[in-house]
Amino acid sequence: MTTEVKVPPMDFSKLVDGSRVRGSAYRDPEIFQRELEQIWYKVWVYIGHESEVPNPGDFVRRQIGLQPVLMVRGDDGQVRVFYNRCRHRANLVCLAEQGNAAKFVCPYHAWSYANTGELLEPTFDEGYDYDLDKEQFPLVEVARQDSYRGLVFASVAEEGISLAEHLGPVTEFLDLFMDLSPEGEIELNAGCQKVRYKGNWKYMPENSLEGDYHGPFIHKIAFDLYARRSGLDVSTLHEEEIPDVIRSLPGGHMVEDYRGAPLAKRPGEPSPARKDYIEKMRARHGDEKAEQMLGTMAPLLYVFPNFIYVMTHIRTVQPISASETNSYYFPVMLKGAPDEINENRLSDHQFMFGSAGFVSPDDVEIMERNQVGMRAQGDDWLFIGRGEHREREMPDGGRSGFTMDETHLRGFWRHYASLMNGDAE
Amino acid sequence: MTPEGFLYHEAQLMDELRFQEWLDLWLEEGRYFVPIDPESNGSERQVAIINDDYGRLEQRIDRLKSGSVLAIEEARGAMRRVVSNVVVTRDEGDSVALESNFILGIARSAEQQFWMGRSFHDLRRDGDGFRIAAKKVLLINSRREIPLLQFLI
Repeated sequence: MTTEVKVPPMDFSKLVDGSRVRGSAYRDPEIFQRELEQIWYKVWVYIGHESEVPNPGDFVRRQIGLQPVLMVRGDDGQVRVFYNRCRHRANLVCLAEQGNAAKFVCPYHAWSYANTGELLEPTFDEGYDYDLDKEQFPLVEVARQDSYRGLVFASVAEEGISLAEHLGPVTEFLDLFMDLSPEGEIELNAGCQKVRYKGNWKYMPENSLEGDYHGPFIHKIAFDLYARRSGLDVSTLHEEEIPDVIRSLPGGHMVEDYRGAPLAKRPGEPSPARKDYIEKMRARHGDEKAEQMLGTMAPLLYVFPNFIYVMTHIRTVQPISASETNSYYFPVMLKGAPDEINENRLSDHQFMFGSAGFVSPDDVEIMERNQVGMRAQGDDWLFIGRGEHREREMPDGGRSGFTMDETHLRGFWRHYASLMNGDAE
Repeated sequence: MTPEGFLYHEAQLMDELRFQEWLDLWLEEGRYFVPIDPESNGSERQVAIINDDYGRLEQRIDRLKSGSVLAIEEARGAMRRVVSNVVVTRDEGDSVALESNFILGIARSAEQQFWMGRSFHDLRRDGDGFRIAAKKVLLINSRREIPLLQFLI
């Protein structure tokens, strides 16, 4: 616990001031509690992808804020998100992280539930002095659930904007990475790396969407190794700053849009599998769009508050406390792509990401040190002003900046402040 | 050198960040595998904690040696492990397979970290010593959320 220097009661409207953010937003347990109430238990939160539960009875355990939930495909084929809590006396009905269950049986007093949620057996129910109505005790579904191209989102709040309104223009960018599949479908079936760090949850989206500013400093050795291995020099890809790369979108979403920055040509002749993949992409999208999609890196993106797509994988952000976070890295496999394409994606992923990877650990180390640096409160403002003078309004309602600008952070924090103040969504 | 003696020697090289000497223990067909799922054999299309062929292992060592990996700046001299419960599971000609447990302590800036697991070594006799043909490590927390693993296990 850190001792906060502040005047009570806390004024949450003073955390963000244009290009400045208070360090307490990363540090203070009271602010973390407010985030749970105003953000995590109000907005749409990404739960998982339908491909993680392909068969009836398949389930995965997840969290919304600090609340345990289950994403389950029922025997009726429908995917639902339930609170992972027995209606009797609130034990976890499911301890396993994932698996398949015809029914969920609470270990405490063995109340059992169908994988579609209905209460099956409230054991020894003759002991109740009234006729227990089983229909009154199903697993509770999270209030609102919706999906976009297999990405399942849920909101704890009974009321609020629709998922379509929440996503807004970010769907254009979600489409771009999912369309890398020749069938337009991604699959999260290659496992998940689980990472824990001692730092605030907000570092993960902030850091993940700004590769170009910190990249040359903390990832240099990884870039060098990648260049030696692949013949592609990624460190000099953006030597000159390019406009309209760093984007903020309405709703606190962030994008690194590299469609204007062609990748260096791969050396040598493409393999037969790669040629096959290129042909399939042309057949689906036409030559011009296929060329554009394969010749640039798919945009990196962040969907507020917990979904990130970076290069090879979907990454989720799971807060534990103001100073502890879990993060989950799910390699994205492209349905219908030749095996070699997906194997290369997985190999690239394994090179860069996870606790023992060659790139993201440097980011995580920085996040942990940030949490320590943040304890110093001489001047508690962080400065996120790079490129503010040249930021421009975009037709989608967002703003754009150059490759290394902090436009995305200012958009994130504007939205964060409006939620914390209670005047948005 | 006995097979057990080799394990102690390897442990010391890892503890003392003697990266190149450790890499020199490996055969060029070597495979270094730290799965998430203990049942995995490494051939499935599944992400792992570490799944290095020799080329990737060389890159890992190049990176660790570079001096620019942030997470190991403080680790020098701050890491020791105990290797125990050694069982020889195969000893045929040049080929020796061993299983052993380890417990590893690391002093980091604000905490002391402990890692624990079981190692599976597949060794080949080489003169008086051994070379590593394959090494698999099952961490007891491989399926849980883990902190940075920017060292050798």
